Amino acid sequence: MPNAVALKVLVVDDQNSVRQMTRMTLEEIGIRNIHEAENGVRAMETAALQPLDLIISDFNMPEMDGLGLLRAVRGHPVVRKVPFILLTGRGDKELVVKAAQAGVNNYLVKPFTAAILREKIEQVMGKLS
Amino acid sequence: MASLEQLKLTFFDECSEALQQIEAGLTDIRSGQGSDDTINAVFRGVHSVKGGAGIFGFEALVEFAHVFETVLDALRRGSLTAAPETLDVLLSASDVLSDLVQKSRSGEAIEPGFGSECRVALEKIIDQDKSEAAADDNSPAPADFDGIDFTPVRVDMNDAADAATALRAFTITFRPKPEMLKNANEPLYLLRELRKLGELDLVAHTDSLPSLSELEPDRPYIWWTGTLRTSAARAQIDEVFEFVAGDCDLEIVETAADTAAASAPADMEIPEAVAAPAPEESISAPPQAPPAVKPAVGAASDATEAPNAARAPAAKPAATTTRIELDKIDRVVNMVGELVIAQAMLGQIVQDLPEATAGRLSQILDEVIHHTRELKDSVMSMRAQPVGAVFQRMPRLVRELSTKTSKKVRLEMSGETTEVDRSIIERLSDPLTHIIRNSVDHGIESPADRLAAGKSEEGTIRLAAEHRGGRIVIEIRDDGAGINSERVLKKAREKGLVSPNAALSEDEISNLIMLPGFSTAETISDISGRGVGMDVVRSNIQDLGGRISLKSERGRGMTIQLALPLTLAVMDGMVIKVGQQTYVMPLSAIVECLRPSRSDISNLIGTRGMLQLRGDLVPLAYLGDLLDISTNAGTSDESVVIITDAGEGTRFGLVVDELLGHQQVVIKSIEESYGSVPGIAAATILGNGRVAFILDIEKLSNLTVSAPVAAGIARNAA
Repeated sequence: MPNAVALKVLVVDDQNSVRQMTRMTLEEIGIRNIHEAENGVRAMETAALQPLDLIISDFNMPEMDGLGLLRAVRGHPVVRKVPFILLTGRGDKELVVKAAQAGVNNYLVKPFTAAILREKIEQVMGKLS
Repeated sequence: MASLEQLKLTFFDECSEALQQIEAGLTDIRSGQGSDDTINAVFRGVHSVKGGAGIFGFEALVEFAHVFETVLDALRRGSLTAAPETLDVLLSASDVLSDLVQKSRSGEAIEPGFGSECRVALEKIIDQDKSEAAADDNSPAPADFDGIDFTPVRVDMNDAADAATALRAFTITFRPKPEMLKNANEPLYLLRELRKLGELDLVAHTDSLPSLSELEPDRPYIWWTGTLRTSAARAQIDEVFEFVAGDCDLEIVETAADTAAASAPADMEIPEAVAAPAPEESISAPPQAPPAVKPAVGAASDATEAPNAARAPAAKPAATTTRIELDKIDRVVNMVGELVIAQAMLGQIVQDLPEATAGRLSQILDEVIHHTRELKDSVMSMRAQPVGAVFQRMPRLVRELSTKTSKKVRLEMSGETTEVDRSIIERLSDPLTHIIRNSVDHGIESPADRLAAGKSEEGTIRLAAEHRGGRIVIEIRDDGAGINSERVLKKAREKGLVSPNAALSEDEISNLIMLPGFSTAETISDISGRGVGMDVVRSNIQDLGGRISLKSERGRGMTIQLALPLTLAVMDGMVIKVGQQTYVMPLSAIVECLRPSRSDISNLIGTRGMLQLRGDLVPLAYLGDLLDISTNAGTSDESVVIITDAGEGTRFGLVVDELLGHQQVVIKSIEESYGSVPGIAAATILGNGRVAFILDIEKLSNLTVSAPVAAGIARNAA
């Protein structure tokens, strides 16, 4: 039963406003240790240097999209097992299928409430205390 | 932590950027310059706007964006072709989206049917699209959706801790050798790098520190032992010490890690020097140890590659920006201005000092002036914005105008990144809008007329900006019909603006349209010509310290050029004296200065004298007369003539008593206190602490005598 306060989470999104909103929502469910990255490359840098418990990434980003980041993470010897939740837009079934094939742990549709975020995280990591 | 309101502001800023990208991308695609990347970028832009709008609760925006996005999705998947009609719909969709963003930002109520015309057009396109994927999702779905066979993949927390974090512990002994500092390697930086890799517990050993009197500042005396808990690879730790291998005694030993079972390939074998760290003895772990381990890494080299590769980008300095309130920048600009003034005063005092003291002092002062100039330039560049900020409103303007007038007009822009002080940017919008309106309304002919004249159906307006000679030059060129010079001349004569006999060149006639009260439009069209004439545009530009010139070619088109100073705050000026009064004139307006002999000056009726200058005749203007100052200089041999560029290709010779020197001056506006004073642009404080007025060269040249008339007289008399 992971302790929300101890969880180290990385939020990846090119839109600052969305990153901040996601941060605020994470804080609402008790998560405090939150890293941010604005693109896939920065995300990989952070992931390689910091121990992480979870990556939450948007799909829609220039240069390296969320799916690309997922694949990069899954192919990296140090971070390949880090749980990964992909943010998708409504109705993007194709994307979810592709992400599942690439090893995503869960997906989340924007916009989401704190309750839904919590549920999705718990589906992957077990009940949060 | 940002408040929701602040985040909304951030979101709207992001929207502005996205909207620009969307418009630019669609325009490129329309003109055949788009690529796969372009359509993807446009799609991403709309998707981002939709996403953020959803998060912040702007429903109308979400709904429209969704329909917009659907069409774009079909386009990028290739199931829809990019026909011009489709792109026109998409372009007006970007306009609607922009309006919706604007309304959402200002909190305006959005009428239920807003943008419905465009939306219907979009939906029609979606219907036409044969692909099945487009058939769904015309209405926003709820936040989550079913129908997907997906099971969340559960993660075992222990697994995650082991593999994902893979924390290892290393005991490190680091003892710098005497040469280390001399070789420009600072232990502190190394320790900082080490700390970046994880948790570092360090003990500093000061046993080797001599007494203060024996201390040599360039020798390291302190050495460290410590533990590093990190998930980083051993190679990364080695890398920290890569360049100091020969300058220190280094030992890195992996101790009992939490994850003995961790099979992550990045594990390095424990090096040969396994001796348990005995801190008080100097351990001569061979400096080869770190490098020797590296080759052994060969087998798992790809493992080390990856983390290093991930780190490599970190070394590249990325361009970062930050947001600053404009007030803060303005305050700094003011302070720099005061600094410039104080410096000038200092210069004045230094001049009066005896040679011996003055020598060294003025050398230093010169350095200070040099630094202040650089400071000023840096600070002014902070206020500088790309003209694109104003330009970006023009494409939409042209789109709307061409629809309204049923003409086909295309706008080409260049030099959008050219920077100019933001105070100028704000005041550029109106004149530019008016000029472009004129162009579409009066310049570009109807498609039928254009074809009849052998031109292409679509007219082109080119909007360009560039830095030229310390100014920013903006050019608006159209390939329309140009100015009807007969009509203009006739009108000018009717209104008594030009003497009936004056023979004017084509350029001079063109410039007549900028005289006040001039308008040849038979009917005042709803778009332009209602009391806002080119004369207002001209005075707007002149108020900014700039100048405007017109060039028209009958049947081929018209070019309007605006030349503006780069900044309104600080200027390079020439200090001049007339009688007892001191003035400053902009250095950029000065072509040359000379002391002519009497024989070079001819007196002609109706002028105050003409100067013969290398085959040209330059009209003279006496500053004393213009400003009503009593001066004893008639045309004494001591007078200085400053050949001044008054814009629009005209020059005149300004006669003054003395040139006092050139100085950077801070422009202080006097309009608030004194309103508009003819011939005076602003005021400044000179080095001697006294106030001087800055001359307005444009207005002065108007005061002399109106240029075309003078030219006409000069020609007739010659």
